[in-house]
Amino acid sequence: MNWMRSLRDGVRALRNKQDRNAEIEEELAFFVQESVNDKVHRGMSRQDALRAARVEVGSTNTVEHRVWNEGWEARAERLWSDLRYTLRRLKRMPGLVAVIVISLGLGIAANATIFSIVSKFLLQGVGVGDPATLTTIYRTYEHGQCCNNLPEPVYRDIREESQSFSGVSAYYELVPASISNGAEPKREWGQAVTSNYFDVAQLKMTLGRGFSAEEEKAPVIVLGYRLWQQRYDGDRSIIGKPVDVSGHVYTVVGVAPKGFRGLDQILDPQFWVPLGDLSELTAGAPNPESRSTQWLRAAARLKPGVTSAQAEQELNVIAERLAKTHPATDKGNGFHLEAAGMPPARDKRSLELFLLAVSVVALLVLCIACANVANLLLTQAVQRQREMAVRLSLGATRPQLLRQLLLESVVLSIGSGVVGVLLSLWATYALSSFRLPVPVAMDLSVHVDGHVLAYAFALSVLAGIVCGAFPAWTASHPRIPNALKGEEAFARPGRRWALRDLLVVVQVTLSLVLLCAAGLFLRSLQSAAAMDVGFRSRGVLMMAIDPQLHRYTPERSIGMLHMVRERMSALPGVLSATVTDGVPLSMGHRSDGFEVPGRPKPQGENVVELYMAGPEYFETLGIPRIAGRELGNENPASPKVGVVNEEFVRRFFAGDNPIGHTVNGAGVPYQIVGVVKNTKSRTLGEAQRPVLYRSIDQNLGSDPSGDGYTVMVRYQGDAATLAKAMEHEIHAVDPALAIFNTTTMEEHMHEALFLPRLVSTLFTIFGLAGVLLSLVGLYGVMSYSVSQRTREIGVRMAMGAQASQVQTMVVRGGLRLIAVAFLVGVPLALAAARLAGNLLYGITPWDAKTFLTVPLLLLTIALFACWIPARRASRVDPMKTLRME
Amino acid sequence: MRDDPTELVQGTLEMLVLKTLTLMPMHGYGIATRIEQISDGAFRVNPGSLLPALSRMERAGHVKGDWKATENNRRGRYYTITEKGRKALKNETATWDRQTAAIYKILEA
Repeated sequence: MNWMRSLRDGVRALRNKQDRNAEIEEELAFFVQESVNDKVHRGMSRQDALRAARVEVGSTNTVEHRVWNEGWEARAERLWSDLRYTLRRLKRMPGLVAVIVISLGLGIAANATIFSIVSKFLLQGVGVGDPATLTTIYRTYEHGQCCNNLPEPVYRDIREESQSFSGVSAYYELVPASISNGAEPKREWGQAVTSNYFDVAQLKMTLGRGFSAEEEKAPVIVLGYRLWQQRYDGDRSIIGKPVDVSGHVYTVVGVAPKGFRGLDQILDPQFWVPLGDLSELTAGAPNPESRSTQWLRAAARLKPGVTSAQAEQELNVIAERLAKTHPATDKGNGFHLEAAGMPPARDKRSLELFLLAVSVVALLVLCIACANVANLLLTQAVQRQREMAVRLSLGATRPQLLRQLLLESVVLSIGSGVVGVLLSLWATYALSSFRLPVPVAMDLSVHVDGHVLAYAFALSVLAGIVCGAFPAWTASHPRIPNALKGEEAFARPGRRWALRDLLVVVQVTLSLVLLCAAGLFLRSLQSAAAMDVGFRSRGVLMMAIDPQLHRYTPERSIGMLHMVRERMSALPGVLSATVTDGVPLSMGHRSDGFEVPGRPKPQGENVVELYMAGPEYFETLGIPRIAGRELGNENPASPKVGVVNEEFVRRFFAGDNPIGHTVNGAGVPYQIVGVVKNTKSRTLGEAQRPVLYRSIDQNLGSDPSGDGYTVMVRYQGDAATLAKAMEHEIHAVDPALAIFNTTTMEEHMHEALFLPRLVSTLFTIFGLAGVLLSLVGLYGVMSYSVSQRTREIGVRMAMGAQASQVQTMVVRGGLRLIAVAFLVGVPLALAAARLAGNLLYGITPWDAKTFLTVPLLLLTIALFACWIPARRASRVDPMKTLRME
Repeated sequence: MRDDPTELVQGTLEMLVLKTLTLMPMHGYGIATRIEQISDGAFRVNPGSLLPALSRMERAGHVKGDWKATENNRRGRYYTITEKGRKALKNETATWDRQTAAIYKILEA
């Protein structure tokens, strides 16, 4: 290979530079010798011939230099010597280097951290073999994307009829199970999968194997890597051993590869069992023969040479056929393929938009940092004008100087990149601690991976060039006569706006926008936290159990829950206790469409939130009762009763008294016996939803919960001690019960504030970083201008100007910049606030408090940054400066 | 003619060197003399451009240089054209022919 030879020769030349030079020298000497011999041969005297040959050849040094310069190694050597010079120079100004590296480091860290989210959700893909040919099948309805999941018969039809795939597998996304490793049982989340799942995913198992074709219904299990490490200490001999899965004996056949968490990005399943056995594991397993229950996710492996578009076409031909054979359920259906591991198109778009917006904000922070660094480098350039002028006069070319200066800023920015990556290592760690308030296993952790490193590196180099380009150009173009005399070589007389001023205006403007956003989001967080959710969150402790995982019949479950509740009530410090099937503010629980026979259609949507409640439910959560009675231990055999909230009454009864009426939810009648005040159901920001509370005893058998049942107590005293005591009571009823999701309502509310907290944290950090950076910039520009004007100030003071007059003059100069920045920044911030409008809780985008406080605050700090140099200016001793003239 | 040697046309040096080397392996001075002789002294190649060109061509793999002892017991670097060099020569000659033909046409017109 050509370049390989070139590389080898070049490296050899670099390593033995003397040898290479000697070689060139010898060849040249030989050339001269031959020339002389030739001339002598033709009749010249040896002396004349020697002289003539020397004239022909010219300077041997030049020739040797030109030969040496032919190879790439010469360029590499020059770069290396430039680099060494740069490092030596930078070592002499540690303060400047520190400021630059920290400024840019902050900016790069902000971007790298945001990019780690992009990488995780949009770039990483899932850890499967050959991810390019693995696709997820989504259902469409009337050509619009509708569902992530398929009914099982539809999956079977696709598997049998399609020719485009080498394998089609299906899985049930999350199945809870109580897994015992011989000691305490623990509730874990896993997936139920078809037996070809691991073959289709082409996973390299850590231990053992996936499922074989005959194991569609066999009691075998594949453990997740983390579960295997945590619960079984990474026991390598676990293959073939039995484990207790919700009271059934399963045999371990394999351990999934490290980091494998199924084919979705955010779920965190830790075991896999065959799909055929699902009904054994969970009470509420969907009906595998129903063509309308959508519950399976399908992942399909494309055959070699088949494109995703071709496969989609074939699937839609199948869909047309299915629409004819099953018109009742399959009419209008189609299919759509997405790369496996990507969020479905709809979610992807909003995720992309959100990440794009945050990335833009992070880039703004970097811009502020870049402006700062450019400013510092400009000041540097001014100080180096003499050096540059001397070097130019001595014959250095401008491109040479430019290269050297750019190298300097790129070295600085790569150093900042390193700092940035270190900072973002910490930031991603902090970010990973954010949790969603949902009861299922999710993995939202983000990490600095290869993509992030590459992005940070590219960004650092780019930032270095951007900040360095103008200062380098300026520095390499001094006005030589002025510079050599030691005068200001860049000042162009009569120019009112220097680039430096412009940079500061940009900085202050951007940080004003960021800080306003931070202020808005903080206010929004404050108002969200103070929002009346309708129930008291203080002093409520809860923990969950799932009797179905332990093969309880409904009757036994009801009896057990009664016993647990009574034991809880008897504990010291417990004021009231209840049981329910779901905790409010968990981003969505169960809901059904409702109708009231004999009354007009509801105003608005007919979807009603459903919660099961035991005795003392409203007392425990502190929800005031308005009319009727509360729920108690209802008789499972009597007609079902329900308590509704005010919103339900408003929507379905137009405010009339609903007590005694019967309402229908998905065909199930409930007789209304009471009305309570409104509470928030899914999220803090939602508009009020109608809620129906139904008796746990009457519904546990007919409509069991998939997430287990939560015991809630209102207590006084220490939560940790009480939690211990409560666990003890539960295990006194049944020691095999796995307890999970133990938390106080306050902690749960904290998680429910996930979005406002995340956004306000991000913006506060970005905003503060931006302000800090731009204040440094403002201070730098002001003190530079003061140092440039020392003479002028001295003269003014000699002529009788007072210190206060001088201070006013300097501060006014700074104020001019701040005023321009505010004139541009406030409208910009208002426009940005409008965009962020639907992320705000309880406040308007033009929140007066924010838009008065933030600019005032910024103005005060900015004036302070101007005042310090101003004070220094007013201390100028006129005698000294005049003597210097 | 001999008193008034011209500089080589830009970019033709490598082609001329390759052509010269197709006859036999030669050292630097030999190449320079050969070019001068064949062009009747019209082109003179000085070592300031010849040696860098040889170094460049060696890197590109068009020629191969070896140290050999000469008759009067000195070491000289002899260059041989490689297969790749022959191909390059063919290409360059073809390009050159096209260009001169075009230039000639323009001048004739």
